[in-house]
Amino acid sequence: MIRYALTRLALLLLGLFVASALIFTTLRVLPGDVAQLIAGVNSSAAQVAAIRERLGLDQPLPVQYGTWILGVLRGDLGTSQLTGTPVIEEIVEKAQVTIPLGLLSLTVALLIAVPFGVIAAVRRHRVDGSIVSFGAQALAAVPVVWAGMMLVVVFAVWLGWLPAQGFPRAGWDDPAAALRALILPALTIGVVEGAVLLRFVRSATLQAMGQDFVRTGAAKGLTKTQSLMRHGLPSVGLSVITVIGLQVAGIIVGAVVIEQLFSLPGIGRMLVADTGNRDLVKVQSELLVLTGFVLIVGFLVDLLHRVIDPRQREGDA
Amino acid sequence: MFRRTALAATALLAAGALALSACTASSPGPSESAGEPDPAASVAIRLVLEPGNLDIRETAGAALDQILIDNVYQGLVSRTADQEIVPALASDYEVSPDGLTYSFTVREGVTFHDGQELTPDDVVWSLTQVRDNEAYRDSARLAKVADIAADGQTVTLTLSEPDSTLLWSLTGRAGLILKQDDEIDRQTATNGTGPFVLSDWKQGDSITFERNEQYWGAPAGVAEVVFSYVGENQAALSGALAGDFDVLTGFDANLKEQVEANGDFALVLGDSTDKGTLAFNTTEGPLADVKVRQAIRQAIDKQSIVDALGAGKTQYGPIPSLDPGFEDLADVAPFDPEAARALLAEADAEDLDLTLTIPSAYGTTVSQILVSNLRDVGITLTVNPVEFPAWLNDVYINQDYELSFVLHTEARDFENWANPAYYFTYDNPEVQDLYAQAVASTDEAEAAALLTEAARLVSEDHAADWLYNGASVLAVSTAVTGMPSTNVNERLNLAELAKSEG
Repeated sequence: MIRYALTRLALLLLGLFVASALIFTTLRVLPGDVAQLIAGVNSSAAQVAAIRERLGLDQPLPVQYGTWILGVLRGDLGTSQLTGTPVIEEIVEKAQVTIPLGLLSLTVALLIAVPFGVIAAVRRHRVDGSIVSFGAQALAAVPVVWAGMMLVVVFAVWLGWLPAQGFPRAGWDDPAAALRALILPALTIGVVEGAVLLRFVRSATLQAMGQDFVRTGAAKGLTKTQSLMRHGLPSVGLSVITVIGLQVAGIIVGAVVIEQLFSLPGIGRMLVADTGNRDLVKVQSELLVLTGFVLIVGFLVDLLHRVIDPRQREGDA
Repeated sequence: MFRRTALAATALLAAGALALSACTASSPGPSESAGEPDPAASVAIRLVLEPGNLDIRETAGAALDQILIDNVYQGLVSRTADQEIVPALASDYEVSPDGLTYSFTVREGVTFHDGQELTPDDVVWSLTQVRDNEAYRDSARLAKVADIAADGQTVTLTLSEPDSTLLWSLTGRAGLILKQDDEIDRQTATNGTGPFVLSDWKQGDSITFERNEQYWGAPAGVAEVVFSYVGENQAALSGALAGDFDVLTGFDANLKEQVEANGDFALVLGDSTDKGTLAFNTTEGPLADVKVRQAIRQAIDKQSIVDALGAGKTQYGPIPSLDPGFEDLADVAPFDPEAARALLAEADAEDLDLTLTIPSAYGTTVSQILVSNLRDVGITLTVNPVEFPAWLNDVYINQDYELSFVLHTEARDFENWANPAYYFTYDNPEVQDLYAQAVASTDEAEAAALLTEAARLVSEDHAADWLYNGASVLAVSTAVTGMPSTNVNERLNLAELAKSEG
């Protein structure tokens, strides 16, 4: 088990290193740079060159990469080329919106996916089960932006229950207001992601229902549902954990879109703005942190699998 | 022998009195329903473009001018909504008849936001810094200032040759007065003399101003202004209807009905110097032929663009109606697809394929109309939407484009047509000469007439096309008064802003 964990950890670090190089190079393909943006449309070539020099953009790319990655290794993500603010500070501030948003979205998604997914599987030959399946198909096809706009129209504009956009300036110092600001965005991501997840739960449940241990349970006198609940669900849980691991990336992408739509000052919106400003040191550090986050979640999911599923540990020494 | 400009100040006072009486007159309007102004009020204003940083000296972009000039930073002179030049940190100023000496009386009793006093030395230092530091925005606008000196409360600028644009330049970035040797980090902090103090910048979200209680003039009418940066008009609309905003700027006039539906908001349209500029790269290819350029201009139905935007007006030359030198040049290139086709045939340029580079932030309304209008005369237009930095790189810097669309917001920017190195690629010595004469003129009317002449030449050369002169589109809460509506992309002077309770 420990050897497995160490191997996976080494792979994770290698993955991060490769990602850092990829992130760095792909960002350099983007046309335009921050110096041009600072200088604007009434500037001379000399002005742009002076700003480039001040920001170190005149250095060869390998040197720029080296400076950045050595900083990262020392735990320094660099500073914004526009404001001079340390990137880590910005990420910590914006994460206070994005992480709660992600967790809420995931909760919504699970609350929808698990019960309805099981129902859709168990009652698949009945009308209600079919309706759930069909509804999930339809919901999963709904564009996130459209879902968000509909929720806003109903709950913010018509009913006036929840804010239509924005995040309180006081942040989590005003927890009620902060939470209210995240409900509609989290519902928007959660409903759509939940519909996707629901189909995984449904097929995982179907698979579990056909497994020997469930049928054995039924043969011992349990009802089909009792047997499924007692013996089948842990195996469903495994599949769900795997899918959640994959869904984390989906939720991050959802957050990028939703934070724009709801004007939330989170990591997604910051990333879009920074890319638009060509504040590349900031963008590459943000992307590296996000990549690291996704890889770590994947790593933990793998470990969790080993812990939960006895079959996977068989090969371990 | 000095031309006294105190007259202008008197005129302004009179105008202010007029505006005041207009407010109290019985004409029904949105401001009428407003109750007693609440000095403790906070006003939430939606803006579109957030500045990348707050460095008014080095960072370009109207997003900075818009909020910081007049509200936080001030110059010796300022401009009114009617684009008049009026005294600000100077209580008075004089221009010698030969246009070579500008004397400003620096106001006494002015303090910076950090409590330090404004001295004539600060003025000399600030202007000298801008002039001598090429990295500073608009540094070149002070190039003709040979000497800047203080004597008592008087600061005198001596010019090497007359410059009719100088006073206007001093109302902008070039003229802002900062504290000498100030050590604030200008990228994230400010220290000005204006009626508002920067109290908070939540990057990627909002900027907050508080009333400057130590302000030298009449204190601001509201205690706090919160600028929220919201890109999507739909989100801004929802936010306004849900009560999150008091004012929406950069709004879409086509959403008038929705925003006015519950009676809390009124759509307000103001003039602006926003010029929807379709630039032609005239250096090579079919666009080097003036007939092709004229054909394109005559193929485009400007009125349909204005109608689709729901606001603004047509413009057929480089100078918008708010700027000196404006003349209606509709006769130069009227909408006439038939004539356009004939011109293209004459130029032997039928079945043209052209590419338009346009920053994607402008949406698709304009480019769709262009594609359809040009198709009608046999031109296939490929639209290439790019991010703004890509536009800067490809079009502005490398001049690697055929057609380009950008909304040029800056007032009085005719100089770009007299600069052959600018991305407009327009090089006409006659225009350059007329512009130089206009700058050197010591008579306002004469300078304007010279600009008019030059602008007509630019339009007759079909150096570019002007698709529309944009309007400032705002939605203003009925509880809010004193919200400026002219040219708000450039300047948002909030000194008069007030909000009534509930």
